[in-house]
Amino acid sequence: MAAAESPSAALRRRDLCSRGIRLAGKMRADVVDLLDTYVEQQGLDASASVAAVEGVPLAAVEHWDEQTGTQRLLENLAAYRAFRALLAQMLEEQREQLGEADAGLGRALAAVLLQVSAFAYHLEELLRLESRGIPGEEGDEEEEDGPPPPPRLSLFEQKLRGLGVLRELAQWAVRSVRDLRQLAKPSPATGAAPGLAESP
Amino acid sequence: ESHTQYERVGADVTMKCGSMDWDAAVTWTANGTDIDESHLNGSYLILKNVDLSQSGQYSCYEGSSWHLKYQTNLRVGMVVPSATGLLCRGEGKGFYCSWHLPTPTYMPNSFNISVIHGTKDMVCEKDAVPKNRCHIRYLQLFSTVKYKVTLTVTNPLGKNFTTLTFDEFAIVKPDPPESVVAKPVPNNPRRLEVSWQNPSSWPDPESFPLKFFLRYRPLILDQWQHVELSDGTSHTITDAYAGKEYIIQVAAKDNDIGTWSDWSVAVHATPWTEEPKHLTTEAQITETTSASTSSFMAPPTTKICDKGAVVGSGAMAVCWTAGLVVAAYSVLFI
Repeated sequence: MAAAESPSAALRRRDLCSRGIRLAGKMRADVVDLLDTYVEQQGLDASASVAAVEGVPLAAVEHWDEQTGTQRLLENLAAYRAFRALLAQMLEEQREQLGEADAGLGRALAAVLLQVSAFAYHLEELLRLESRGIPGEEGDEEEEDGPPPPPRLSLFEQKLRGLGVLRELAQWAVRSVRDLRQLAKPSPATGAAPGLAESP
Repeated sequence: ESHTQYERVGADVTMKCGSMDWDAAVTWTANGTDIDESHLNGSYLILKNVDLSQSGQYSCYEGSSWHLKYQTNLRVGMVVPSATGLLCRGEGKGFYCSWHLPTPTYMPNSFNISVIHGTKDMVCEKDAVPKNRCHIRYLQLFSTVKYKVTLTVTNPLGKNFTTLTFDEFAIVKPDPPESVVAKPVPNNPRRLEVSWQNPSSWPDPESFPLKFFLRYRPLILDQWQHVELSDGTSHTITDAYAGKEYIIQVAAKDNDIGTWSDWSVAVHATPWTEEPKHLTTEAQITETTSASTSSFMAPPTTKICDKGAVVGSGAMAVCWTAGLVVAAYSVLFI
């Protein structure tokens, strides 16, 4: 059923969206800086094409303007949860590889990881506002025959994957800003956000 | 039967008189004028190192009967230049590519654009107007996979390719804002109201909002004032020098990515000034005095001095800093 939003809920949603837009904007600026540092310190070619790596959420999307608000929030949340795990892994690999030699890069990675976690939480708040259940995270459930852990990558493969992760994250940050702007728009007919209301 | 023959500037051209034998007696004309025999080798016409002026209609007539045996339209021109000014600009949901030939070839040219995204071919729809532009809508947004655009320009002498490779965000640059208008504000000698519109080539400002940069200066000064505006398509300048003509321009940028547009077309405007009054009766002079002094007072909402720093009294009371401002105005009015 199409639910009309209460004025206070609409205000709260708009407020959360604007704060989210600012968070994502800052996150993107930091990721772009981090990308430059990463490329330089890891001795990579900035223009290198990196094939899509398994587990890295791709920001590329078809029919973006037709997505519902719920879809946007859920896809964003899944992506940032994945980035949280990927960045944590990168940080660990970084510490193993270089120890104290690259403290600057480590700090920058940690700062971005913090922002990614904060943004994921922010998305959960938006979903809660929608009175939607927040999907459980993968890995929470116990599986009897879980997939085997992925084979350990070589140092070079780790670096390339890191490049892929940061590039996709930079794209996602822009997509998130655009998504939140769509979400913040009031719907002309019912006063509810476009896409948040679900048809019977 | 008439032909068209395309040749490159500087080439040596040999024309045969149709099926006539080499030793046949013929006369060649260029645009109706007989060509001297020194250019003939038997019945063949030899033009060495042709230039643009030699374009025209060449005809060959049989010696005695003056039957027209062969006719051709010779077009001398250039090969397609390698630089084509190929430019692609993103507008949110897709992008435009435009091109132009920096130098004319003096012959018909055709243009073909191909776009590849990863391994996928895409079609760039050619605009009717302007002719040298096409538009493509993204199938995917936010992709990191690069686009490769190849322009092939073909003319009768050959072809040339230009390629551009870029990703979605790198080419985002709007066209400048349109319909910039600047107007004085009645009874406000320091204000100018500026308004503009989103460029028409930016199709979806709702989903992809633009922010703007305004710059303005009085014509008599070189230094620009700048204002950045995160939304809205209007702004009121409140610190214009009274009575001075201003030049104003606006630029646009996607709120999140890409680069600033070029500056818009400049508009000129002068803030409102009171009509100059002629000296007449005393009654009218009194009215004039109180009206004109008010224009030299600092605007009531502007707090620019403390009570203690007031100079003068009554209608002409101004404070120190305002006094300096008035002095500056006076200098400008000299």
